[in-house]
Amino acid sequence: MAVEKNYYTIDPQGKLSCVKCGVPLVKGKAKFMYLDNGFPVELPVCPVCGFVYVPEELALGKVASVERALEDK
Amino acid sequence: MSQIRERGSTHVYKVNKISKEEMDAMTARCVYEQPPFCSAACPLKLDVRAFLKAAADGDFKKALQLYEKVAVFPLVLSAGCEAPCEGKCRVGEKGDAVAIRALENAVARLGEASKLGGVFRSKKRKTVAVLGADLFTLFLAGELEKKAYPITVFCAEADDEQYLRACAPHLSDAAFALELKRLKGKDIQFEFDRRLDAALYKEIKENFDVRCAAGAVAKALFPDAAILPELMLFEEEKLVCGECVGVLDAAFGAKKAALTVDRLAQNLDARNMRGSEGACESRLYTDLSEAKALERVAAGEDGYTKEQAVEEASRCIQCRCEECLKSCAYLKHYKKHPGLLSREIYNNTQIIMGDHPLNKAMNACALCGQCTVVCPNDFDMARVCLMARRNMVSTDKMPLAPHEFALMDMLFSNNEAFLARPQPGYTACKYVFFPGCQAAAIAPATVKAAYLDLCERLEGGVALILGCCGAIGDWAGRIEMQEQAHELLENELAKLGDPVVIALCPSCAKELRENLSREVRGIWDVLLEIGLPDGARALERPAALHDSCGARGDAATQAAIRKLCEGIGCTLVDTENSGDRSPCCGYGGLTAYANREVAAEMTESCLERSDAPYISYCMACRDRFARQGRESRHVLELCYGTDAGAPPDISEKRCNRLSLKNELLKEIWLEETMEQKLDYALSFTPEARKMMDERMILVEDVIAVLEDFRASGEAIRDEDGLLVARKRVGNATFWVKFSPTDEGFLVHRAWSHRMRVEKREG
Repeated sequence: MAVEKNYYTIDPQGKLSCVKCGVPLVKGKAKFMYLDNGFPVELPVCPVCGFVYVPEELALGKVASVERALEDK
Repeated sequence: MSQIRERGSTHVYKVNKISKEEMDAMTARCVYEQPPFCSAACPLKLDVRAFLKAAADGDFKKALQLYEKVAVFPLVLSAGCEAPCEGKCRVGEKGDAVAIRALENAVARLGEASKLGGVFRSKKRKTVAVLGADLFTLFLAGELEKKAYPITVFCAEADDEQYLRACAPHLSDAAFALELKRLKGKDIQFEFDRRLDAALYKEIKENFDVRCAAGAVAKALFPDAAILPELMLFEEEKLVCGECVGVLDAAFGAKKAALTVDRLAQNLDARNMRGSEGACESRLYTDLSEAKALERVAAGEDGYTKEQAVEEASRCIQCRCEECLKSCAYLKHYKKHPGLLSREIYNNTQIIMGDHPLNKAMNACALCGQCTVVCPNDFDMARVCLMARRNMVSTDKMPLAPHEFALMDMLFSNNEAFLARPQPGYTACKYVFFPGCQAAAIAPATVKAAYLDLCERLEGGVALILGCCGAIGDWAGRIEMQEQAHELLENELAKLGDPVVIALCPSCAKELRENLSREVRGIWDVLLEIGLPDGARALERPAALHDSCGARGDAATQAAIRKLCEGIGCTLVDTENSGDRSPCCGYGGLTAYANREVAAEMTESCLERSDAPYISYCMACRDRFARQGRESRHVLELCYGTDAGAPPDISEKRCNRLSLKNELLKEIWLEETMEQKLDYALSFTPEARKMMDERMILVEDVIAVLEDFRASGEAIRDEDGLLVARKRVGNATFWVKFSPTDEGFLVHRAWSHRMRVEKREG
């Protein structure tokens, strides 16, 4: 089986929980989209309501730098 | 509030060509790449500036390498060169010209010769014969040897010593010995003791691909020969030859002849692809104030010693036009002269697919026009950058991110915070006070005091418009948004009875003057006319006056502000680069939004001119200087005895505009406004507030997230027990980390990203 490509993976390791659903977030499939481009990633996701969490470090680090790169395309 | 459409895709195929002629005309104004006058005067095109720099640095090896590029026999040339370079040396206009020829001689004597050639150097196939012994053929033989032709010299002399004597009789004994050694080191075959007659010519014509001869030899062989001096060629006979007068002419002749040999060896017309040959004119600008050491260092009988040569070479001022680079923090940051940067920015706009590496640079210019004032040729970098921005916007290639906050702020100014009212008691007014967005955001009390004062002391009614003049749309290259702002103002001005506009900000005044067909006056002119209000208060310490870039080229405004300061009783200290040469504070052209690093450097370059407190007449300058920790006041704060105090953060700037509008509506027009109050308490840690300011996150963005959380209950709890909620607002997703309090929420952190994120199936 081919290994699926993921640009970034964060495993919440049970440290985060969904307030609404009362369950721990799990490592789940998510997608970033910007200016016609999509990037499959694995982020902390609520298994019940699908809330996808983007931590501060990710938003200001990798996400910001990819945004800049796409803006300059 | 309305949203600005994000560029849809990275795959944009539109391109608006700026004509090459237009671009060339713009870049040609920059003379940075023009040769220095000494090099331009040298037909051999010696890079005199680099040569003197190497010599001044004591690097004689490098200096000699540079000289050997044009001089195959450096001592032969330097001993007799007529040195037209010295006649053009700009230092010579104030004192003695730099002794370039004597320095070339010193370098040739003292420098380490390069070891070109060697056994592994592959030779060309075409063979060349050179007849005769004079300076021209000596240099030509050297040039051709450098080009790796198998070359044979035929001469009447008995050996190479006699040959060199015949060629270069002007050499001293010491120089002769050195050059003889150099000649022996060259891969040149000699046929000595030959009669240079028709028989020999016949022989070499049969055996060599290209033939060259000294002028006298050619004349003897072909008395009626018509020699083309620009090619050094007797075309009929394909004989490379020519008459030369003097050492430099011989060296230049040899250069031309060597190129002709190349073309003949390739069976091409000798006129082909010759490039520019010989001396040329230079348009370079030189700041002669750099010339300090004006007296030539005296040389001994044998020429300069190394120490003397270093001292003399150090007198060169390295002519280079860097007037704009000296003053402009933006150009300094990119370390590029405007001619080059413009070409790169132009290319950036022409890219259909792929990276646009100059977006950031193009958006970092303050569009302030300082470069045009300091440039001896009026280079207009602002026009280049603005045209590029407009071009990128019109082809949908401009990213929204660098300017979105400012553009949203402009929409805020002209929507929620907008106000247009005639003075109570008037339907049509003679005047309208237009303080602009920054004054209302930064110093609302000053705006209020000024408006009340104008209402009281001017006759005919003073209306008020709180809003944006459209400059932000202009700076972002978004003409449509700029025009929307103008249309709004035109409509309101018509309703107010077409009053004369009294602007508080020089940039607004400029924008409105240039785009609205209305009379626009600065409040400074009005105050000079009607006199200072009561309560005007000078700064206790002497202060530096910072001229606004909006007033560049506007001597009347600059003078009026000084008069106003004088009237208040301020003591102004002189600073360099004031008046028309004043640098931008970093707000202009939206630099503060698009490139904070460059904006900070601009602010720094303003403040480094003086340690004194700063008085400005643009509120954005006042704000940026205060943010840097400098005591900074707007001249109107002094006029009205107000103090806007510590600079507000981005949320306070919006809040100030709304509060001012509501306060004035209530107090002057007796209109109650519905202020939206939160039904919970919202507080921030100091760290959160600071980070929001840095990350351009408004309190209203935070409120949107929390409202959404209150409605949906969606949030996550992190390992510290804090809650994190999010909400997509416009083109960004905002995240807020908070904790519930008894009455509401305490915000700990906030961040945002522009990418959308969603769960993916599979």
